[in-house]
Amino acid sequence: MTRALPCAVELHDLTKSFGDVLAVDEVSAVALPGEVTALLGPNGAGKTTTLRMLLGLVAPSSGTATFGGRRYDELTDPVRRVGAVLEASGCHPGRTPLDHLRILATASRLPKDAPTRVLAETGLAADARRRVGEFSLGMRQRLGLAAAMLGDPDVLVLDEPTNGLDPPGVRWLRGYVRRLADEGRTVLVSSHALSEVEQTADHVLVLAHGRLLRSSRLAALRAEAGVGSRVRTPDPDRLCAALQAAGHRFRRTEEGLAVDASPEEVGELAAAHGVVLHGLVATADLEQAFFRLIQESGSARRPASTEGAGS
Amino acid sequence: MRALVHAEVLKLRTRTAAWLLLATLGLVALTIGESVPKVGDPNASVSLDDPGLLAGIVGIGFGVPEVLVVLLGGLAFTQEFRYGTITSTYLGEPRRTRVLVAKWLSLALASVVITIATLAFSATFGIALISSRNGEVTLATQFWQTAAAAFVVMAAYCVIGVAVGALVRNQIAAAVGVLVWMLAVEQTVTPSFPAIGRWMPGGATDALLQLGPELGLEGKLLSAPVGGLVLLGYTAAALTLALLLTPRRDVL
Ligand SMILES: Nc1ncnc2c1ncn2[C@@H]1O[C@H](COP(=O)(O)OP(=O)(O)OP(=O)(O)O)[C@@H](O)[C@H]1O
Ligand SMILES: [Mg+2]
Repeated sequence: MTRALPCAVELHDLTKSFGDVLAVDEVSAVALPGEVTALLGPNGAGKTTTLRMLLGLVAPSSGTATFGGRRYDELTDPVRRVGAVLEASGCHPGRTPLDHLRILATASRLPKDAPTRVLAETGLAADARRRVGEFSLGMRQRLGLAAAMLGDPDVLVLDEPTNGLDPPGVRWLRGYVRRLADEGRTVLVSSHALSEVEQTADHVLVLAHGRLLRSSRLAALRAEAGVGSRVRTPDPDRLCAALQAAGHRFRRTEEGLAVDASPEEVGELAAAHGVVLHGLVATADLEQAFFRLIQESGSARRPASTEGAGS
Repeated sequence: MRALVHAEVLKLRTRTAAWLLLATLGLVALTIGESVPKVGDPNASVSLDDPGLLAGIVGIGFGVPEVLVVLLGGLAFTQEFRYGTITSTYLGEPRRTRVLVAKWLSLALASVVITIATLAFSATFGIALISSRNGEVTLATQFWQTAAAAFVVMAAYCVIGVAVGALVRNQIAAAVGVLVWMLAVEQTVTPSFPAIGRWMPGGATDALLQLGPELGLEGKLLSAPVGGLVLLGYTAAALTLALLLTPRRDVL
């Protein structure tokens, strides 16, 4: 199914500084209808600031952000065009989700049945009359999503929507987001972990230190990623030292060490240093490509920032 | 705009607001009751037969509701910033001046309700009080002037309250600031330094409500019309500042 008025999101030289902090630095990018576009970046990369500028909540220092060529505040019926879930957007704890959604629906002249429809869609129908103050983080996140879907919008903007969701919730969200894009909507979703969007995103925008490092198809990023490995060892410190000495990039994760080198190289290195391994698998996942991009940008930036400090 | 105002009215219709209204009427009774001993006291500045007596009682009765509407107005924005609902409010209506105006209108509606309730309550209470002491109840011109002035004062105060909330954003800071200003600063300055106090919003309000005799400040306040103009001046200033700054500030 394609929608009548698909609406692309365009960022053009978008820039924002908060005093001395350059939060977003000349970001230009496009998110297309029918696709899930992931805005990826570590903490403080500028994702939230970018999305808030897009939605007219934060004024850009320069540049523009538009939906089908129009700024958010120029849209007629914005709620029917764009739905958004932002971190730190909330609900009065004394209200029920139904009251909260009714207030929003009233303000935007939406149909009376819209609140119940979106509550059902987001799996909150049974909790419609509880006070939001009693809600868990994940339920609030679903309520945020319900509010975003009230106007049945063409574009969805989600800022770290998996925050607080349990694994089934994350899976549900993936399917939901995918379906919305397949219906022809434009979905722009931010995340700090590539693994979260790996299964849903079509296009990836990598952001670090406010700058757009990459805009590419997920498939292209995957092809470039090359082979890496994931290692489990009871003695990570020694292995890390060995990896460092051999010039391999690595990173500690919950599942062990993610190393930017093939399993052969890692296995031989471990053997040479007498480090016991409990697990060694090849990973072609994107996490490494992402990780490398960000690290490279970090090292490329350091001289620039010292320069800035000196002047 | 009608839809926006409707949504704002829905936000106001909370249990907290209802309790605040009830508490206010209780406090109105206390304020008037506090002036009871003075009524009929031969040394009081206003005698039992004074035609302005009922007007005075009614005017005094507005002391607490005035504070209430400023606080309630202040909540309109600070509550939204506190709970983060401002994001969805602005997503629904990105033209922020319209949100501001809708909040003003919804609070003006609320202030009309509060004003009518206070008027009915304090007039009944005042009449009962005067008759019980065998005084003469006169619905003199001054009574109607004070009643009309009360609507103006309450509408002005809710505009000021909303503007304060829009500018300060922090709920506690706004509420504490309003309470300190209205209950401490003005209450101290007006009686002690009427030359300054009469130019403050509170002094101008007392003048507009013709409360000089009741407050023992006869002749020291501005005339009612000038008082009204000063109050409108403050209201216009608050309105302008809020209209200018609200659309420009980042919502984080
Ligand atoms: N109000 C503000 N004042 C000053 N600096 C700010 C403000 N808001 C954000 N920043 C800075 O801007 C940069 C980008 O912040 P932003 O919140 O957009 O990052 P993010 O990518 O969303 O991070 P996270 O993954 O932690 O949510 C950070 O360096 C942050 O410190
Ligand atoms: Mg963020």
